[in-house]
Amino acid sequence: MAYDGEDKILEEVTGKAYEFGFTTDIDSDKAPAGLNEDIIRLISAKKNEPDWLLEWRLNAFKVWTDMVEPEWPHLQYEKPDFQAISYYAAPKQKKELASMDDVDPELRKTMDKLGISLEEQKRLSGVAVDFVMDSVSVATSFKDKLAELGIIFCSMSEAVQEHPELVRKHLGTVVPVRDNFYAALNSAVFTDGSFCYIPKGVKCPMELSTYFRINESGTGQFERTLVVADESSYVSYLEGCTAPQRDENQLHAAVVELVALDGAEIKYSTVQNWYPGDEEGKGGVFNFVTKRGICHTRSKISWTQVETGSAVTWKYPSCILKGDDSVGEFYSVAVTNNFQQADTGTKMVHLGKRTRSTIISKGISAGKSQNSYRGLVQIMPNADKARNFSQCDSLLMTDQCGAHTFPYIETKNPTAQVEHEATTSKIGEDQIFYCLQRGIDEEQAISLIVNGYAKEVLNKLPMEFAVEAQKLLAISLEGSVG
Amino acid sequence: MSQSSAAQDFVANVQAPQGAVASLAQEGQEGMGALPVPTRKSERWKYSPITAMLARPLRTATAPEGWPGDVEPNPVPGLDAYRIVLVNGHVVPEACDLPVADGVVCMPWCQAVEEGHLADLDWSGYHRREWVGAVHAAHAQDGMFLHVAQGVTLDRPVLVHHHTTGDQVAACPRHRIVVEDQAHAEVVLWHSASNGATGMVNGVLEACVGAGARLGLDKVQHEEGEVFHLAHEHVTQGKDSTFRIHSMTVKGHWVRNELNAVQEGQGAHTIMHGAYLPKDREHVDNHTTMDHTVPNCTSSELYKGILYDRSTGVFNGKVFVRQEAQLTNAYQQNANIVADAGASINAKPELEIYADDVKCSHGCTVGQFDEEALFYLKSRGIGDKAARALMVQAFIGDVLEGMGQEEVAQEVETLLADRHGWS
Repeated sequence: MAYDGEDKILEEVTGKAYEFGFTTDIDSDKAPAGLNEDIIRLISAKKNEPDWLLEWRLNAFKVWTDMVEPEWPHLQYEKPDFQAISYYAAPKQKKELASMDDVDPELRKTMDKLGISLEEQKRLSGVAVDFVMDSVSVATSFKDKLAELGIIFCSMSEAVQEHPELVRKHLGTVVPVRDNFYAALNSAVFTDGSFCYIPKGVKCPMELSTYFRINESGTGQFERTLVVADESSYVSYLEGCTAPQRDENQLHAAVVELVALDGAEIKYSTVQNWYPGDEEGKGGVFNFVTKRGICHTRSKISWTQVETGSAVTWKYPSCILKGDDSVGEFYSVAVTNNFQQADTGTKMVHLGKRTRSTIISKGISAGKSQNSYRGLVQIMPNADKARNFSQCDSLLMTDQCGAHTFPYIETKNPTAQVEHEATTSKIGEDQIFYCLQRGIDEEQAISLIVNGYAKEVLNKLPMEFAVEAQKLLAISLEGSVG
Repeated sequence: MSQSSAAQDFVANVQAPQGAVASLAQEGQEGMGALPVPTRKSERWKYSPITAMLARPLRTATAPEGWPGDVEPNPVPGLDAYRIVLVNGHVVPEACDLPVADGVVCMPWCQAVEEGHLADLDWSGYHRREWVGAVHAAHAQDGMFLHVAQGVTLDRPVLVHHHTTGDQVAACPRHRIVVEDQAHAEVVLWHSASNGATGMVNGVLEACVGAGARLGLDKVQHEEGEVFHLAHEHVTQGKDSTFRIHSMTVKGHWVRNELNAVQEGQGAHTIMHGAYLPKDREHVDNHTTMDHTVPNCTSSELYKGILYDRSTGVFNGKVFVRQEAQLTNAYQQNANIVADAGASINAKPELEIYADDVKCSHGCTVGQFDEEALFYLKSRGIGDKAARALMVQAFIGDVLEGMGQEEVAQEVETLLADRHGWS
């Protein structure tokens, strides 16, 4: 059944240009394209890194050269030319930063356009923002306040200089160098990222937030994030991404490692809205990310993600439930439109006794996009009384798109309980009709239905993020029903 | 010798394929060379490695002297059915009871090839897709050919009984069923093996269900010995047709069932049901592909398994909904009980959907017997063993009750009861 004005709405939505597509001109210190040992040495030297880290990078590079790019995802794209990428681009800073006022005005403008003015964030929401622009952190706020509690929240390069023992102890323990092709690449060439350490028994009083942004044409972003929550601590970490409009595909291969020690809790939320390519599927970001957390006894890691951007997404935030009674959660909304492709999901590996995991995944496909959920629930022989519940729903908006579900359930314990359910359906015509009947126009009705559909996940986001996420859903989808 | 070249000639053919079959065998040989040998790294075979099967060389058997005296040609008491029986891939004519009726052609597959009933020997193309399919084609033997003409209903089911016996035997039975428009046929596929039999059964069944036609398959695997059983069924369905299969694995050392159903005409309906109850170190893999290519079709899939001892189970169900297949209604359910420490299940219920106006859902559960229900039964004076038996029967009951032939369902239940000590 077709609705009046449907085509118009479709056109409006699909015709919407990428809102955050602008470029900031800042002098940038850029390495020549290509990847070899010298480039790695250059990155390491630029960042004044200790020898052990350089060795670690070089080893990762060696491992990477022996690996092949994975073929198994349900994705079709032109493989990136790794020798055509520049692996290091640091914004040149005019002087040492003493206060916010010293930050490059161009950069400040970028932040303003993104709506994340640091002052405002400081004043209004109490969120400390570690802003990463082309791989180098340029501004960190609230550091002093956090330092009082012993919380370390800084860029990875700073952490390497100031807390090498912590970095060395945990780096690569959750996502080993050999883990996969892109993790190995990241280990070899990562330029910056965030580091966070919450001491024993400390509950982080504010949500920690980092905005990532790709700014330089042809520079891959290789973030490395490490969050360590010591015993009985708590932290909520926010990560949000926007990227300027570009015609060539940009590669993003990040690694995020979370360590939740006994009794700790980490809540990791992501809103991802990178440039998805234009209506013809030209351009857009390749998002090949490895995210994994390890849970020790009675600890909890909760991943929440709202994925609306990127041309190609390959991302499986995972939990290794190593300690007894640990808990893993994964809440995801993935929206694809036009020619976007997403192969995303999670892995829950139950090792400890009485470990529990929950997976809620909501996929929304529109345009000619392909949206896949791929998840693994693995119950190992010692995971007595382990429990998993997974629900993967897909909503289809047009007859050109695809929604796929590839769950893997591997159970090796007779006391475990695993449940998986998935549904795929079109947006309910009767629901739209009901709304229309009550004077709610179609666009609002769809927004209402989609928001209701994704509510279970959106509810898990911190308040500040939930607002942004709803905006993104609205931009990506409102009215794009066929 | 490299693994692939070792695998290339792990089956010795004692009788070179003759006549028309030779061309299929030739293609199979080529496929064996060209296709990758499945390993743990192959996505489709990661849970069912065939390394153990490839470790010892096999040979195809010569035609038997007759039907073995200690095996009932009709293993299902009370089943009134036509019969075609095979030993190690060879039809034993004297033990067969083939239907003779207007509009029904039923004969050994090789004879059908000789008489020109089968123009397209390689119709399903399995040997071009999978290495094990190529192995089958390279050594294809005999089987059943059944053709039911338009509007004809076969008055009794046809029982196809394949028996495997001997040491390191390779048996490659091949069947073809054609049910023309508005026709109806019921087939019982029974697989047995003698005690101490080792080797491989690598069978292929191709079926074509015409418009408005119905085909029902009751498939039972009850094999002693240590036989690797690879089964592939490829079925296409016309408009408003119904295809039903019940695949029951009562006993089998290592079983892989690969079932493909393709709906090519609108209004088609497919039922794929199955149950598996392996014990000891047995392995059962059910790989199903439900391909919805046209609008207005429905499918219902239900697989249930209980895994005892150190057995392993695999369920990999794929539902495709192609872009044209609007208004599809597809349902898939897989329920498993891991009964003992050491047993494991790997489930992969997949949906691949390219059309929007569809209703597709799947569910997968892994759990154990409900302790409360058990307690309830025990509190009413039913012993632990009997109570568990009752719950198992209830669990697989909804798979059993849909079977085409009541006698077959009854016999499956009896065999299961004997095997698992319910009686």
